[in-house]
Amino acid sequence: MCSAFHRAESGTELLARLEGRSSLKEIEPYLFANEDSPVLGDILEFHGPEGTGKTEMLYHLTARCILPKSEGGLEVEVLFIDTDYHFDMLRLVTILEHRLSQSCEEVVKRCLGRFFLVYCSSSIQLLLTLYSLEAMFCGHPSLRLLIVDSLSAFYWIDRVNGGESVNLQESTLKKCSQFLEKLVKEYRLVLFATTQSIMRKTSHLREGPSSAFTHPSDAGVDYRPYLCKAWQQVVKHRIFFSKDDSKTSNQFSLVSRHLKSNNLKKHFFIIGESGVEFCSYVS
Amino acid sequence: MGLLRAGLCPGLTQDVVQLLRGRGIRTVVDLVSADLEEVAQKCGLSYKALVALRRVLLAQFSAFPFNGADLYEELKTSTAILSTGIESLDKLLDAGLYTGEVTEIVGGPGSGKTQVCLCVAANVAHGLQQNVLYIDSSGGLTGSRLLQLLQARTPDEEEQAGALQRIQVVHAFDIFQMLDALQDLRSTVAQRVTNHMTRERDSGKLKPALGRSWSFVPSTRILLDTGEGAGASGSQRTACLIKSPRLPTGFQETVDIGTWGTLKQSPALQGHPT
Repeated sequence: MCSAFHRAESGTELLARLEGRSSLKEIEPYLFANEDSPVLGDILEFHGPEGTGKTEMLYHLTARCILPKSEGGLEVEVLFIDTDYHFDMLRLVTILEHRLSQSCEEVVKRCLGRFFLVYCSSSIQLLLTLYSLEAMFCGHPSLRLLIVDSLSAFYWIDRVNGGESVNLQESTLKKCSQFLEKLVKEYRLVLFATTQSIMRKTSHLREGPSSAFTHPSDAGVDYRPYLCKAWQQVVKHRIFFSKDDSKTSNQFSLVSRHLKSNNLKKHFFIIGESGVEFCSYVS
Repeated sequence: MGLLRAGLCPGLTQDVVQLLRGRGIRTVVDLVSADLEEVAQKCGLSYKALVALRRVLLAQFSAFPFNGADLYEELKTSTAILSTGIESLDKLLDAGLYTGEVTEIVGGPGSGKTQVCLCVAANVAHGLQQNVLYIDSSGGLTGSRLLQLLQARTPDEEEQAGALQRIQVVHAFDIFQMLDALQDLRSTVAQRVTNHMTRERDSGKLKPALGRSWSFVPSTRILLDTGEGAGASGSQRTACLIKSPRLPTGFQETVDIGTWGTLKQSPALQGHPT
């Protein structure tokens, strides 16, 4: 159905894609452990507890994409799939207004015209929506960025609905993961998906004063994989978010790990009125 | 959800359902993800009909994408910020409760959570003339306390009665009753919940109850605590912003729950002839 349409468009699409290929490379170099930025067709996971800046980072990336080239943006389209109804349009607009040199309604609306939002309230609806969105990817060659916030929203509901069988519990998310991989490869997109740290890592009981409790700084300390294997397999980059809990600092940090090469990089950032701002020092 | 049955959508007759089931296609997902040419051959159904069926099912069950510019237009006309009636709390909330969001108040017993809810209800019903749905699961709401708060705002008995009428109270002592009450709500509302504090087992740190799965849901969280220091009078409380989509966290304000609800404390009434 869509493949015939696809072939007929391949000439102009190819040009758009070649152009697009270079345009997403600079989306946010700080996020990547390897020297190279995401290749179109990559899947990246943002993982971390709540309040650590994952959604803010998504707004930052979205703004980067939808702003016009004259304002330092990439002028590409973004599709944002919201599964927990957290998306805050007013916050996105505030970030855009702060980043534009002249923030008039017209320009803001033109940027927002490159942004698409879908709400999904169950994993089955997510899967069916991905199927119907395939037509949209066909028709929008400048749609380069796909965001899912968050992929773990239905975890407990799926577990209940699947009864005793783990296969049944995971089957819809497994299909979603496989279909996302297919979409991302076929339409040369980049996918950013967030997952919440809803599982507690069983920490060893520590006796003694709380000051002896050192902050873990390595990647993966609070990471217990709980989503299905199919998802673990399609992720290329995993980025862990955390926040320094001490009262004096409002700093966030992220550790980016490229899963194949195992390169790790740590960065710090703060969140201001205009969104995420990376601190210049790097560890 | 998702089982194919006759009448689920136009074109899905009992015969079609049986034929599909015979080939292992039972759910909407099965049909949408199947290779329709293969299915057409195996089931003896027309390929065109199956393609049409797939399109109808997708249109019916998938979510529809909104364009950002349209969404923004709609939001500009429908969002409101409701003042809580407590100046210091409004500061923490960046002017008040935002419609379309969930704000959570956490605190130990006696920290003033129910007081805050009553005060907000009184302010919204009287000062802003809006309807309030108050779902009470702790039994902390009394009509007399609400009336007291309203009496402190206005001596006019008709106004007090009018405000009380705008507050609808639902008692829900289990989660199912609460979900029922929420299902009936349709319009855009600002939602505010209270939550209790528990001590974390391992480190002894205080943390909000209901665990990690709930903690992601509210966009804003305020912690109420009894004031420190020997000099703190019984009605002093500190409110600390611990989660917010708009303001940096860690801000604290002192609120005096003894004087809540008085005219002095409510900025919404200043310059507003009601």
